[in-house]
Amino acid sequence: MKTLGARLLRHPGAMIGLGVLGLVVVPALAAPWLPLADPTLTMPAQRMLPAGSTGHPLGTDALGRDLLARLIWGARSSITVGVVAALVAALIGSLIGILAGFFGRVTDALLMRGVDVLMAFPYLLLALAIVAALGPGLANAMLAIALANVPFFARAVRGAVLDIRHQDYIDAARLAGHREWWIVIVEVLPNLIPTVLLLMTTTLGWMVLETAGLSFLGLGAQPPDADLGAMLGTGREFLTTYPRVAVLPGLVILVLVVGINLFGDALRDLLDPRLRDRGRRLGTRAGECRDAGRHHDGHPGHDHRHGDHPAHAGRQKAGLSGEGQAGDGRSAGGDCGEPVDDRHPLDQGRRGGSPHDREVSGEGQGDEPPDDAHKGYRAARDARERSNEGGPTTGSAPPLIAAEGLSVLVPSERGAAAAVDRLDLRLQAGERVGMVGESGSGKSLTALALLGFAPPGGRLEGQVELEGTDLLTLDADVLRDLRGRRIAYVPQEPSDALDPLLRVGDQLREAITAHSSEISADADVAVGEESAAELASTEGGSGGRSETGPVRSAVVMAGLGDLGSDKPGAETSKRVETLLNKVGLDGVAGIQRRFPHELSGGQSQRVAIAMALAHEPDLLIADEATTALDVTVQAEILALLERLSRGRDRSLLFVSHDLALVTELCDRVLVLYAGRVVEDAPRERLLDAPAHPYTVALLACSPELGRPQKPLPAIAGQPPSPAEATWGAAAAGCRFAPRCPKAQPVCEQGEPGLDELAPGHRVRCLFPEGSKASDTGDGADSTDRVARADGADEADGAEVTDRRAGIDGDAGNDGSRAHSGRFFNERDSQR
Amino acid sequence: MGAYLVKRLLMLIPVLLGVSLVVFGVMSLVPGDPALAILGPYATPERLAQLRTELGLDHSWPVRYGIWLGGVLDGDLGRSVSLERPVLEAVLERLGPTVLLAGTALLLGTLLGLVAGMVAALRHNQLTDRLVTFGVLLGISIPSFWLGLLLILVFAVWLGWLPVSGMTQVWSDAQGFSSVADVARHLLLPALSLALVAGGVIGRLTRGAAIDVLASAPVRMARARGIPERRVLLVHALKSVSARMVPVIGLQAGFVIGGAVYIETIFQWPGLGRLLVEAIAARDLLLVQGGVLVLAVAYVLVNLAADLTQHALDRRTRAA
Repeated sequence: MKTLGARLLRHPGAMIGLGVLGLVVVPALAAPWLPLADPTLTMPAQRMLPAGSTGHPLGTDALGRDLLARLIWGARSSITVGVVAALVAALIGSLIGILAGFFGRVTDALLMRGVDVLMAFPYLLLALAIVAALGPGLANAMLAIALANVPFFARAVRGAVLDIRHQDYIDAARLAGHREWWIVIVEVLPNLIPTVLLLMTTTLGWMVLETAGLSFLGLGAQPPDADLGAMLGTGREFLTTYPRVAVLPGLVILVLVVGINLFGDALRDLLDPRLRDRGRRLGTRAGECRDAGRHHDGHPGHDHRHGDHPAHAGRQKAGLSGEGQAGDGRSAGGDCGEPVDDRHPLDQGRRGGSPHDREVSGEGQGDEPPDDAHKGYRAARDARERSNEGGPTTGSAPPLIAAEGLSVLVPSERGAAAAVDRLDLRLQAGERVGMVGESGSGKSLTALALLGFAPPGGRLEGQVELEGTDLLTLDADVLRDLRGRRIAYVPQEPSDALDPLLRVGDQLREAITAHSSEISADADVAVGEESAAELASTEGGSGGRSETGPVRSAVVMAGLGDLGSDKPGAETSKRVETLLNKVGLDGVAGIQRRFPHELSGGQSQRVAIAMALAHEPDLLIADEATTALDVTVQAEILALLERLSRGRDRSLLFVSHDLALVTELCDRVLVLYAGRVVEDAPRERLLDAPAHPYTVALLACSPELGRPQKPLPAIAGQPPSPAEATWGAAAAGCRFAPRCPKAQPVCEQGEPGLDELAPGHRVRCLFPEGSKASDTGDGADSTDRVARADGADEADGAEVTDRRAGIDGDAGNDGSRAHSGRFFNERDSQR
Repeated sequence: MGAYLVKRLLMLIPVLLGVSLVVFGVMSLVPGDPALAILGPYATPERLAQLRTELGLDHSWPVRYGIWLGGVLDGDLGRSVSLERPVLEAVLERLGPTVLLAGTALLLGTLLGLVAGMVAALRHNQLTDRLVTFGVLLGISIPSFWLGLLLILVFAVWLGWLPVSGMTQVWSDAQGFSSVADVARHLLLPALSLALVAGGVIGRLTRGAAIDVLASAPVRMARARGIPERRVLLVHALKSVSARMVPVIGLQAGFVIGGAVYIETIFQWPGLGRLLVEAIAARDLLLVQGGVLVLAVAYVLVNLAADLTQHALDRRTRAA
């Protein structure tokens, strides 16, 4: 609780709330010692004195009583009644909740059915009925309000008890032979305190309001007692003549309740673990999210510590049930309402003092704007249309899509951290590229960034060029038109791909009609260029482009007439059928009328792929598109993807943590580690001669068919988080070094460049492996590579050069072996 | 839908039974002799004895409940002592104006809350969002009865735009449209007093739900498919937010019904809420009992409608 106090002190909402609350509470508490007139002393001669009269700063009421004194004493009464009502409700409600939650079964069923019934009442009505039965009076009103709130406490406390009951320490206490009552008192009660405290602050405001309401109706405090509600009730008669008498008590109630609610919100921020989790997911961990724990046992190195899918961020159980159920009134307040805003503003200068940034990663360009972008766009497009025969080429042909220095920045405790760091990626038309890496390696973020999506609270840097046009500087509406038409995306979770509330057929039709009234692409780009500058200048720290963009375009769209209308024309329906047939679903059958939850995972994924194909996109991005499926279904979807991409002029970017899967499908494989490309090689090259120790390790932990007894080694350690990779120990050197079996001291001195080992094979390692490694050879080349790394890292280049001797001497073996392996490989490939 | 409807209707039976049990039970909280409490100290012994038999006070509690419930199912809620007429008749007569007031308030509050919450979520962490958040905080913190008084003061007393109280102009013989307009003018301020508060709660919850939904996978995927943003917002996001908000709106009906007790008193609105207050003041327990029962049943039915609407929006919801 100590730390809670400290955290409250640092919470601005809590402080403002306390301040507002203090305005009312402090005088109310100090009332007996304040030089106030007697609040109940009637002096008919001084009736309705105006404010500022001597001795009556706020004037007097209809009976000549001092208004200020009555307000302060009235506030005291309201606060006392509210607090006592909250305590009574908490006490009785907690008792019921604990009994139901802990002793379960019949007790639980009986008590909770009772609670359900009470909750079927509008609770103010329940309170009224109780007052009606007990008779008017402040104590009865208070009791009535408290009783009306009991069900709410009972239900919430029961839930909390059930949570606690399933904790291990309760089982441990049972095993230790403690009795149930002992467990309740020692283990359960202390853990309930935060919950109950939270419930009390949430309901306190409401209790103050409603007891005041009962007094207002004359059912609570009785004259001549000073009570805010009663004052309001009697002041009502003089509303037109002396409004002050009725307005002031209401104002005091408002201030009091605003203070309580502000403070309660702050307390909820700090105490409610569910909301806190959610805040974290929205905020600091936004870029990473989660992977729902699905993974292959065959990949021990792949631990899913972080998830992969930014789209998951912020998704959470609808918080509307718990408190919302309880409250038909205000205490329903913000249970699900307020996400915690602990996003960290992204600082503009991403990180300081890493002079080897650009040089190491090779490509130095990027800063000059894409001049004459639309011309290049058109030209490239025409070129593509002319030459359909050009299959995957590695060299000169202009790439379909090229990311240059692409960084995905996500918020972290220390500011913007690069979850994807200066990534370069080129895809030729018709090429099938795989992207592999552990969870958190940034592969999904990269995939989404290719569509111009930044994770919540994050932003993108660098360029993503689609045939020469930088997507990241495009106008939101132009970018929208490219999404789904030229670049399509299939996500990991089949259930994520589809809107659960719309029928499958409608969603397919929507995907088709989204681009049917196509605005000419060229015109778009021209428009886009104009606003690109504006977009770039307004792109501030908060929220990525994709987060703010849509709002802007929503406004634009509103004026454009009904672009999104989904008149199910015959042509569209036919197209839907064709698409469904194409992905192996019977397009005519009932599937169109079903809702997504009525489909199997495989069916959903087929529908998702069908949607992705709606506009024959040039690039299909499949983001772990088979991961969430059963193995057999996985194979089917894989075959489908292969069929759909083979022999066509369609590029495929297949993102997966499963290297074996990727090498089955793709021509070329990119291996990502901690946001960096560590190896980029044609499939055969990668399988025969993996060069990066990380790739080697990934291959080693792929199970092989027919060798069930093959041991699957784990890669020790964890990949660094984006924050660690940006600022942590590994930041200066090779990010894999801490886990690398071959790491040398020099590996931590500077990050190696992504150097070409052989045509089309690039690797980011000082000591790349060879498949047919031999121990012969000289260390000259490895020193050369170190030197290059040094050169890049100008800051401590000299120091590293000094240490180089140590490498050659102490541990040069590895280096030279790797080098010679590579040497032989090069010769092999030349033969 | 059919199976859900049947299941949900079947679930009504225990809830309604429970509600009747609570209504009956609360009234047996009355200290002392209920017959005396109902008739007051000046009742004749004969009248007292008669009422005791009517209420079945000679029987045990469960039997009394059975007798009462039988009467209720027969449409007999007893006889009001203060009004000297059948309770059901008096209650039903006042139900219409309350439904009109509460329904209008809920409708206005829902519109207000949904729009404010959606706009705030779209402008998350921007100035608009902060303004909405502040407005919503005021909405959930303001005493509705005080807000009603302020509205009267400003719009009726000072500006003179709208009538102070009542449901129709006194001695008005307006017919057709002008009588509707007359009621509407009288309805505006009381409905607004409730709507602003209900809108506060709805707005606050909508904002939270919309922030979630806008960051959710289906919305992101719709964008990834290049669906026009307007459609993403108005079809995908709004539908999802609505599906989550419908139960909350149903629960707000509870606040609006309860708040109507104050507001009808302030605005002299001839509804059931005011009747209840009058009945409590007159210690007319059977009238209170009947009024509470009818309002509670109305509330249960509103929530049934909310659940059915939610199910229509989101077929995944089950009758739990």
